[in-house]
Amino acid sequence: MSAYLISIATFVGFYMILALALNLQWGLTGMVNFGIAGFFGMGAYTSGLLTVYVGFPFLAGVASAGLMGLVAGAFLSMLSVRLRGDYLAIVTLGFAEIVRLFLLNEDWLTRGPRGLSIDVRPMSESFDRNEYGIFYLGIVALTVLIVYFIVEKMRRAPYGRVMRAIREDDVVTETLGKNAFFYRVQVFSIGSMFMCIAGALYAHYVQSISPDHFVPMVAIFIWMSVIVGGAGNNNGLLIGAGVVMLILEGSRFLGDFVSFVDAESLSAIRIIFIGVLLILVIRFRPQGLLPEPKFQAPVGIKTTRVN
Amino acid sequence: MTIKHTRRTILKATAATVFTTAFIPNLVWANGPINIGSLTPNTGGGGPFGPTITAAHKSIVDRVNAAGGILGRRVELFQNNSETNPETAIRAARKLVDVNKVKAIIGTFSSSVTLGIMPLCQEANVIQMCTSSSADIPAKDKKGLVFNFQALSPRWGKAIADLALSNGYKNFAIMALNNDFTSSMVNSFVETVTAGGAEIVNKPFYYNGGQASYRAEVAKLIEDDPKAVFIPSYVTDFTAVYKELYRAGYEGKVFTVSIATGSKFKKAIGDAANGILHGLPVPPLESEAYKFYLKLQGLEDTGNMQHPFGTAGMDQISTLLLAMESAGTDDANEAAKHIWKVSNPNGERVWDVLEGIKLLRAGKAINYTGASSEIDFDDEGMIKARHFQLWEIRDGQDVTIERIQS
Repeated sequence: MSAYLISIATFVGFYMILALALNLQWGLTGMVNFGIAGFFGMGAYTSGLLTVYVGFPFLAGVASAGLMGLVAGAFLSMLSVRLRGDYLAIVTLGFAEIVRLFLLNEDWLTRGPRGLSIDVRPMSESFDRNEYGIFYLGIVALTVLIVYFIVEKMRRAPYGRVMRAIREDDVVTETLGKNAFFYRVQVFSIGSMFMCIAGALYAHYVQSISPDHFVPMVAIFIWMSVIVGGAGNNNGLLIGAGVVMLILEGSRFLGDFVSFVDAESLSAIRIIFIGVLLILVIRFRPQGLLPEPKFQAPVGIKTTRVN
Repeated sequence: MTIKHTRRTILKATAATVFTTAFIPNLVWANGPINIGSLTPNTGGGGPFGPTITAAHKSIVDRVNAAGGILGRRVELFQNNSETNPETAIRAARKLVDVNKVKAIIGTFSSSVTLGIMPLCQEANVIQMCTSSSADIPAKDKKGLVFNFQALSPRWGKAIADLALSNGYKNFAIMALNNDFTSSMVNSFVETVTAGGAEIVNKPFYYNGGQASYRAEVAKLIEDDPKAVFIPSYVTDFTAVYKELYRAGYEGKVFTVSIATGSKFKKAIGDAANGILHGLPVPPLESEAYKFYLKLQGLEDTGNMQHPFGTAGMDQISTLLLAMESAGTDDANEAAKHIWKVSNPNGERVWDVLEGIKLLRAGKAINYTGASSEIDFDDEGMIKARHFQLWEIRDGQDVTIERIQS
C-alpha cells in the first residue's frame, strides 16, 4: 500500500508542476493554454531521446527538456502575438496536436507508435524497488518546491502585478508603459519550460513512453486541478492537483468493495462521477477551494476611501 | 500582502504527506486468496472489445471459485479499466501490484499499455498476459513473464498475404492505420506477396486515426487503380475509410483484418459491406473450446467469428490458473514456467478450466486448447497461432473462404 501511495504522490507531483505552470500562464496572466499535453510530451521525448541515443546523463536530459520548452514556448507565444483569448486557445490546441502527430509519424527519430523505452535513471543502482520509489518522489518533490518557489516569487514581485494587470486589461497595462507583449512571451515560455521539465521527469519515471501517453486528457486533468484548487492561487492548485488525483485514483478502489455493479459498468460510472464532481465544484464554488488572495494595503498604512 | 505563513504551511504539508505515507498500515488483504489483476480497455480505443475480456475473466474465476478454487485457495480478481491509455494504465497497474498484490496482470490490449506497464511488472515480478501485437513485446521481456495471446503483427500480414495470393490476387495498394499493431503488418504483407509474384502499385503509407474524413488518404490509395487494397485497421477508422472508398466508387477487392469488420461495422455499412475479405487467427476447426466459450457467455453460435478478444480473455485466465495449479504455487516465476507446460501439445486436450484442474490433480499432463487459438507458445511466450482463416462478407454474413494451417 505505501509503495502505491508513494507512486501516486509522484504522479501528483507531475500534475503539480504542470498546474503551477498553467497557473503562471492562465491563472495569473490570462493566457489560455490547451497545449499542456504537447509540452509535456515534448519534454518527455526530448529528455528520453537525448539520454537514450546521445548518452546524456539524467540531469542534462531534464535540463535540455527545459530549454526546449523555453524555446518552443517563446516561439509559440510570438507566433500568436496578435492572438488573444480564444485564439491562443486554438493555437495551443493545434500545437499539442502537431507534437502528437510528429511523435507518431517521425519514426526515424521517435520510433513512432512503437514508443521509446528509457533505461536512464539517476542512481538506479543504489536502491531497491521500494526505496527507489521514495528516492524518485524526493526528486519530484524537490522540483515541485523549486517551481513553486519561483512561481510564487514571480507572483509576489512587482512582476506579478504586471501579470495580473495584463490578465485584467492589457490595454490599460500598455497605457501605463509596460510592454505587454514581452511579458506575455516571458511568462508563456517560463510556463512551457516547467511543463517540459515535468514531462522529462515523467519519462524517466515510467521508463516507457509512446505518443499515446500525451493525449489531451492530461490537459483536462491539469485544468481541473487549477479550476478546482483556485485559479491564481498557487497553494490552492497544489491542493487541486491532490484532489483531482484522489478522485481519479480513489474511484478505482470502488470496484474492490462494490459487488452489485460489474467491472464494465463501474468503469463508466467512475468517469461520470469525475465529471459530475467537476460540475458541482464549478456550480457551488466557482472561485475554487482556495480563492486568489486579494491584495490589501499593508497594515499600518491608513487608507482613506475616496468617494 | 497578508499571507505570512506560506513556508510553514508548505513544510507542515510536506511533513504530513511523508508521515502518512510512511506510517499508514499496509493494507494487505489476508494471505488466503490468490490475487489476479485484470486491466482491460473498457473505454477509449479498445472500448468495443474490453468489456468482453472483462466478462470472460470474471466468468472463469467465478467458475473456479464455485468449484473450490485452486491450490485450495480462493481466486480474487481485481478488475480495473485501462481506458486504453498508458498514462492512466500505469497508475492502475501500480494499484494492482502494490495494493492488491496481484501475481499477474492480464487482459491488456493496446501495445502502448502493455509496454507502458512492463517496466513496473518486470521490476515487481508480475506475469503479464496480453493481446498486443507489437514486435517489441518479446524483446523487452527480460524475465520470461510476458505471454501474448494474439499473434504478432508480421504473422497476420503474412497469413492474409498468403490467402490473398492463393485466391488469385496479384495487384495491390496498401495503407494502414498508424499504430503499432496495424502498421507492422505491412512489411510482412509486402514481402510475402512480392515473393509470390504479385505487384504493389503504391508506396504503402500510414494514416492517423481519429480523423473526421479520410478522403485524401483514400484518393491516394486508389489513384493507380489497384485490383485489390489491403487496409489493416481498427473498426472505428475502418468504418470511415470504407465509406470513403465506397463513395469513391472503388470496385476492386478490399482486404482487412476481421477485428475491423465486426457486427458494429456491418450494421453501420449495411449491404455495401458485401465482398470485403478479412482474416484472423482462429481456433482449430469445430473447436469445442469456442463452443464452450459461447455457452459460458450465453451467446448463440451465429457462424460469424464473435468476441475475438473475449475468447482470448478466457484463455488467459484459464492458462494462468492451470499453470498455478500445476506449479503448486502462485509464485509468478514458477507459475510462468508452467504456462508452457499446461498449454503446449504434450498432454490431454482440455478447454474447460475445471476439467484441466481435475486432470492435473490426478497427476496427468494437459494441453490447454483455447477458444481464441490453439494456445501454444514459442520460447518467448508469444502465441504460435497456427490456424488462420479468411472470410468474405456476403449478405451481411461472414462466409469462410479458406483456412490455412502452418
